[in-house]
Order: sequence, then C-alpha cells, then structure tokens
Amino acid sequence: MFEHLDPRSPIPLYDQIATRIRSAVAAAELAPGDVLPSVRQLAKRLRVNPATVVQAYRELEREGFVEMRQGAGTFVREVGGARRKQARSEQAKRLVRALLKEAARVGLDGDEIAGALQRELGGTA
Amino acid sequence: MTYAIETRGVCRRLGKRFEIRDLNLGIPGGSIYGFLGPNGAGKTTTIRLILAQLRAQEGEITVLGESIPASIHRVLLRVGFVPERPHLYPGLTVDETLDYHSAFYPTWDGGRAENLVRGFGLDRSLRVARLSKGETGQLMVVLALAQTPELLVLDEATEGLDPVVRREILEALVDYVSQQDATVFISSHLVHELERVCDWIGFMDDGLMVADMPIKDFKEGIKRLRVVGAPATLEDPPFVLLSREAGDGVTEAELWVVRGWEAPMKSYVEGVGATLREVIDLDLEEGFVELLRTARAPKQ
Amino acid sequence: MFRVILYTQWKWTRLALLPGVIIAFSLPVLSVQRAGELGYAAWVLQSVGGWAVWFPALAAALGLLMAVTAWREDHRGGHVYALSLPIERWRYALFRFAAGAVLLAAPIVALWVGSLVATAAAPIPPTLRAYPNTLALRFGLAALVAYGVFFAISAGSARTAAFVLGGVAALIAFDVLLQAAGAELSVSREVWAWLTRTPGPMTVFTGRWMLIDV
Repeated sequence: MFEHLDPRSPIPLYDQIATRIRSAVAAAELAPGDVLPSVRQLAKRLRVNPATVVQAYRELEREGFVEMRQGAGTFVREVGGARRKQARSEQAKRLVRALLKEAARVGLDGDEIAGALQRELGGTA
Repeated sequence: MTYAIETRGVCRRLGKRFEIRDLNLGIPGGSIYGFLGPNGAGKTTTIRLILAQLRAQEGEITVLGESIPASIHRVLLRVGFVPERPHLYPGLTVDETLDYHSAFYPTWDGGRAENLVRGFGLDRSLRVARLSKGETGQLMVVLALAQTPELLVLDEATEGLDPVVRREILEALVDYVSQQDATVFISSHLVHELERVCDWIGFMDDGLMVADMPIKDFKEGIKRLRVVGAPATLEDPPFVLLSREAGDGVTEAELWVVRGWEAPMKSYVEGVGATLREVIDLDLEEGFVELLRTARAPKQ
Repeated sequence: MFRVILYTQWKWTRLALLPGVIIAFSLPVLSVQRAGELGYAAWVLQSVGGWAVWFPALAAALGLLMAVTAWREDHRGGHVYALSLPIERWRYALFRFAAGAVLLAAPIVALWVGSLVATAAAPIPPTLRAYPNTLALRFGLAALVAYGVFFAISAGSARTAAFVLGGVAALIAFDVLLQAAGAELSVSREVWAWLTRTPGPMTVFTGRWMLIDV
C-alpha cells in the first residue's frame, strides 16, 4: 500500500501517507473497523520519522476517515457514500493536476491534453 | 523551544587551513536533525566539540541542559554515540564488547541489546576485528541504542555500508525513536538518505553553517524557475535569488534558483515584464547543491 | 566498571603474562641450582650473584609490558571510545592503572613461591641465609615502580613518549661524545646515580638481588 512513497517529491511525506490511506478507504480496500499499523510499525517499515506517521493519522482523523483510540490503535471509520465519492474525486483531481503540470513542462496545452484523454478513453471503452 | 544541543559563538581552529567559525547550532529536543555537508565541511569536528573530545577555543556549548565540557561525564550517561570510524576494541568478542559497554551505563537495556543483536544476526562469539564493516556498524548501533539514550549522536554512521545494512540501521533508529522520546543528531554527506527520516536539517560547508531549518520549510521554499524576458537587474525581489543562468542553450529561458518562493510571487515576475514558464520543485539534494554554490560564490 | 576494565586488560596481556609468570617462578630456582655442588660459601655467593641482574631486568620488562598494554588499544583508536564513555578521565586512568597492578601480582606471587621452593630445596652453606620474602618484596616493589613510570609515559601521547625516549637517547649520545673526547665524566651515570640515591623510588632497583646472601 505504501510502496510508492517518494521522499524527493515536494508533496510532504505525511500527505503522501494520508493520501494512500484515503484512497484505500475510498476504494474499500480498507473496511470500517480495520486496524491501521501502529505508528511504530509503520515508521519502521517506511523508515520515516514517527512524527510524520502521527501527522498523517491526525490528518485522517480530522477528516473523519479514522479514529485513534488511546492504547488500542487507529481504526478505519464508517465512511458514507458521499464522503467516499468525494475522496475518489479528490484523487482523480490530483492525478489530473500532476498530468497537466507535466504537460506544461513539455509545452502541451489543455486542448491537446483533453483531446488525447478523449481518444484514450474512447479507445479503451 | 528547548534545545537538546545548543552552541553559541563556538570557534575552533584545526591546523592552518581549517576552522569552525562562530558556530550557532540549535538542535530542537525530540527532533531528528540531519546534519549535512560535504566531506571535510567540519561535521566531525563539530560533533567532537559537542562531545568534549575537542575543546572549543571560544563560545558556549550546552547539551541536554548541561554545560560542556564541565558536565560532560554526566551528559555522556544520556548520550548514545556512533563515531565516524569504528572505535571498539578489536580483540574483544561481540559478547565481551556488550559486557564491557553495559558496565558503564545504569540505563542499559539488556533486552533491547539482545533483540537488536538477534535482529541484525550478529555472531556473539566473533571478535570485533573479524566483523565486516556492516556488522561493526550494526554493533555500534546496538551499543548506542541499548544505553536507552535521550540523545543519539551519529557521525556518518551508515557511510560505506551496503544498502541492506543501511536500511536495517535506519529501521532500528526509527523504531527506537518511536518508543523513546529521543533526539537524534545524525551527520551525513548522503543527502537523500536523510530526506525520509529528518524533520530538521542543517547544512555546513567549510566550517560555517549555511542553512538550518525544518525540512518542510526548506523543501517548500526552494525552487527552480524557468523565466523568459527578465530584465538584467531585479529591483528588490520578494524572494532570495540564489542563482541565475542562461539555461540549457536550446530555449531562450533563463534558469533561476530562488529561496522563500510562494505562489503569489508570480505577479512580481510578471510585474518586471517577464514570463514565468515553470516552477520546478527541487529535492533536498538539488537544493543542497544550489545552496553550496551560492555559499561558495565570491561575494560581490 | 573495574571488573570489565580488569577483564579487558587480562585479555590483552594474558599471552605475554603467562611466560612472565613461568620465568618469575623459575628465576629463583635457577639462581640457586648449583649451590649444592659448589659447597663453599664464596663460590655459592658468586654463582647466585651471577643471576642477580636478571631480577630487576624481569621486573622492568613486566612493568613495561603491563604499562604498554594498558594503553595500546586506546591509543590505537585515538581514545575515541574511552572519551565517549561516561567516566572521568582520571578515574578511567586510575582503573586502568589498578587493573595492571592487579595482574602484575601474578608474576610477583610466582617469584615468591619460586623463592620458597628454591629455599626449601637448595642446601645452604651454614654461614649463609636465604631471603625469599625480602627478594619477592623487592621484586614486587621494583615491578610496580617500573610499571608506574612506564604507565605515566605511555598514558601520554606518542609525542610525550617520543620526547622522553628522545631525551634518554640524547643523554647517551652526549656521553658517547664526551667519552670520545676523553672526558672522565659520564652524564647518564650521574643521572642514574641521582635517581637511585636514597631515598628515591628507583633505589629499589639497586642493592643485592640474591636469594642466598650473607
């Protein structure tokens, strides 16, 4: 789930971790009541600062995706359909933004990208 | 903020050509502080000053709230140290080394030592002289962590080790820090290695601190810009222009490296009649290189 | 703490200490070996006296061995390990010194036992007496004095040691020049005489190192 963590990316690591978990909840890979790895476990596995994991979990808690229970761990909460949909659309937006940024770098404009996207979607449909 | 390590105006000359000048360091308590700089920048000298293995010629040093070098022996009870070069007695076995080291620390955690030795797969009956470079590094980390230190000082602890061992050592460090509320001061010239774990960084070059800030401030503020049509001189820009060069020679765009960049500053660039083509994020290593280039450039 | 420091020194010296113990035991036995054949007191004294030089030499060699091994490993690592341990420098040096002194007891005791054995076995001419306890005591003191001096020298940096040895070498070279010039005076002999003049600590090296004496 955390294989693609990129410390060199300008997106802060805590944000990357939170995004992975958010996506997993949105895609129902994580079900309500599932336990997330402890801060210690996850920090060790990812070799990141434990404070970074705590920050990611706090962020998710603030957004209502997880619940941190003192001494018991961090649990995935029941996320409503609308909330889940919103998370999915957030994710789609991020991907498109990254795509557009890359496109600008090589000098492609929005129309060209939109055209290519249309063709690709048509081709796979 | 309370500092685990604080130096004020520390100076130390070493030989004719090298000196630490007016060193002001503040390592926030509880942080993982990456102390970066090229080889020969003065990182090891700084660490030796902090641990009273060298005496400062000027300035004050405080470690864990106690004055150095006066209280160094009390402070060392709370400090785990992994030096740049192996310092253990080569004639002793791993077991004997653990026995020797533990006798000096009332806070020694035999269980943790046991777990780490097993985790690293160290052969307890082997003499230190027979250990590989990686195993020696692992043993030094075992000793430092089993002391249950409040402050860990690691001087190029993973230098020259293979990636598997480096990873194991960093994992052990992170695991310790997530159990104990400890401060870690880790020096390295391998920038990308510390990018994951550090939350604070300091850069040293030629005996001087070049930068010192939370890693997120550093990464957010330092950018490479592709700019077209900018005037030759800029009237007080809201950012720090670290460097400006003609670009790749293929396009007419200039490359600027700036510090303290924020998105609204785009209007300033447009205000001077230039076009901002692109804002490129720099990773720690690239930012580091740019910082060093400007720090080393002759002052006008 | 002292236990582990003692252990390291035992580990570093045990291979050299074992022959030291054997020689210390054998030396008094060998020194009176021919006493029975010779019979005459004067001849016995001469034979025993022939061995006398080896006692202070062994004491000095053992002192040097223990002093050098006490610091060698720390010198090799630039003292980084010792300086990172939470122990005052003077206490660390004291423990290292004490550990060497404790280990030095082994050859001293061996020499004492050897003396007692030799005394019991050798036929002693009626006009002469055996001094096993005095000899062992003198040997012990000499070994400790030598150890103390060499320990102090080797505790310092290589530069200090080189400085001291260089001073001794210069003294000898100066003497050789004086002798070549035909002078009667020997500076090194004067210095030695001054060092060993009672009541200096070096006095213990002079005197009669004989198990059987008048």
